[in-house]
Amino acid sequence: MGKKTLVPLGPYHPLLEEPEFFKLYCDGEIVKEVIWETGYNHRGIEKLCQSKTFEQVFYVVERICGICSTSHPFAYANAVESIPGVEIPERAKYIRSIVGELERVHSHLLWVGLAGHFLGYNTVFMWAWKYREPVLDMFEIITGNRNSYAMFTIGGVRRDISPEQAAQLLKVLDEVERKTTLLVGAVMDDPVIHARLKGVGILTAEDIHDFGAVGPTARASGVDIDVRRDDPYAAYDMIDWKVITANDGDVFAKAEVRLLEMYESISIIKQCLEALKKTEAGDIKVKVKEIPPGIGIGHAEAPRGEVFHFVKSDGGNSPVRHKIRAPSFTCIPTFRRSCVGGTISDAAIATAAVDPCYCCTERMSHVYDYTTGKHIMSAAELIKLSQEKTKNLKAKLKV
Amino acid sequence: MDIEQYIKDIKIKFPKIIDAEVVNTKRLMIYIPKSSLLQIAEYLFKYLAYRYIIVTAMDSKEGYEIIYHFSDDSSGWIVNLNVMLDRDKPEIESLTPVVYGVEWIEREIMDLLGITFLNHPKPERFLFAEDWPEGKYPLRRDYVEEE
Repeated sequence: MGKKTLVPLGPYHPLLEEPEFFKLYCDGEIVKEVIWETGYNHRGIEKLCQSKTFEQVFYVVERICGICSTSHPFAYANAVESIPGVEIPERAKYIRSIVGELERVHSHLLWVGLAGHFLGYNTVFMWAWKYREPVLDMFEIITGNRNSYAMFTIGGVRRDISPEQAAQLLKVLDEVERKTTLLVGAVMDDPVIHARLKGVGILTAEDIHDFGAVGPTARASGVDIDVRRDDPYAAYDMIDWKVITANDGDVFAKAEVRLLEMYESISIIKQCLEALKKTEAGDIKVKVKEIPPGIGIGHAEAPRGEVFHFVKSDGGNSPVRHKIRAPSFTCIPTFRRSCVGGTISDAAIATAAVDPCYCCTERMSHVYDYTTGKHIMSAAELIKLSQEKTKNLKAKLKV
Repeated sequence: MDIEQYIKDIKIKFPKIIDAEVVNTKRLMIYIPKSSLLQIAEYLFKYLAYRYIIVTAMDSKEGYEIIYHFSDDSSGWIVNLNVMLDRDKPEIESLTPVVYGVEWIEREIMDLLGITFLNHPKPERFLFAEDWPEGKYPLRRDYVEEE
């Protein structure tokens, strides 16, 4: 029996949008147990929302996450608009879907890049992030911001998309589609990536059900769920698209789902842009006078899975209770099953596989001896360990 | 989903259900006593294979209200179990033995509203730091922020 060591991932860690702490208890190189600790950056947003007007809440929830900053307003809009039963104009529905899907494209590109970096494929990282830039530029042209778009409001959207912007967007999408094909080829056919990702961090359909995991994490385990299809909102029931699933449940399957989803998103945006031509320009908003007493439950499919908002109104200006659940809340605990039994060098990619939001670029993980508290390994060395594994595999496979 | 038939059937199956109503489009709220929670949640989660979404807790006028959200992804309906807890004795059986993923949200509710979940496998602080004062619950109506 070797000595049992504690490998802390966090509290500050580039895999995580906000400080969180994973304690990996290891025996030798094998992970035996994972404990999740959080709350390092609890901002009390649910409580804060209760002091804002229904309109202002949009711009508070937008700031929950910088990467998927339209997903929360999307779910909140679905929740709050359902209380008075507002039917938003068709044009606003298409614009909402366009913004939502553009976000999925840039978020998935970001994930592919980071996953590449953790594996020691910095070329993939450079490519993916380079191709993501034009998507962010498009956001700036359409919404006025590369992030935190402030596009949604009660009853519709705040800005229209002009035919010139639509033409520009189409051009960018064609380019992104070509580059996605290049990335898909680079990732799916590489024998070393196969060796690093296949059979790593497996989650079964049963695990997914137990934890209530959602999004690409669930779909990669053969669980065919997607709020956009199951409980359609915005324009998703007016266009033709399909839900991507895979069956293996490992990290490779999750990468596959995300890569192929980008094609679907691009196709959705193109169809929406086409449909915009048939609706009247400027008809993007209906006036909503007040939110009557009642309960609104809304959800939306973010790049990482279902975002869930519960809003209770007593007829006043602000919600009396606003409950928010981001997809990572139910996806992150799955590490308890996906990392256990694997090696430390696979833990980085297994935890990255559910795509917990990345924002911080600091990494402060260290490996300590569990019994003596002696420092063994730093975060940079941990990434090096993962990258070296790929290097050795490359040498072994002679590629 | 024929909702009227659904409500009728579930009321026959679990006679302890206090009431059930459609609160919004495709959103069903079932009011239950706390003693039936485990039994009804098990039926929804295990037998009907509904997806567990999350648990919402709030300080309502009548007491502490806990809502367990489940999703029927085949129809798009969200089925909610609503339990009202006494303000003097805010405790309820933990749902973790039935729905594994509930562990973390129950700990969050313990922190924010001070509700006790009986037989919880790890009833420790989740969001708050070790030095957060005992008995201070930010989501309670009587919570006053200190300077």
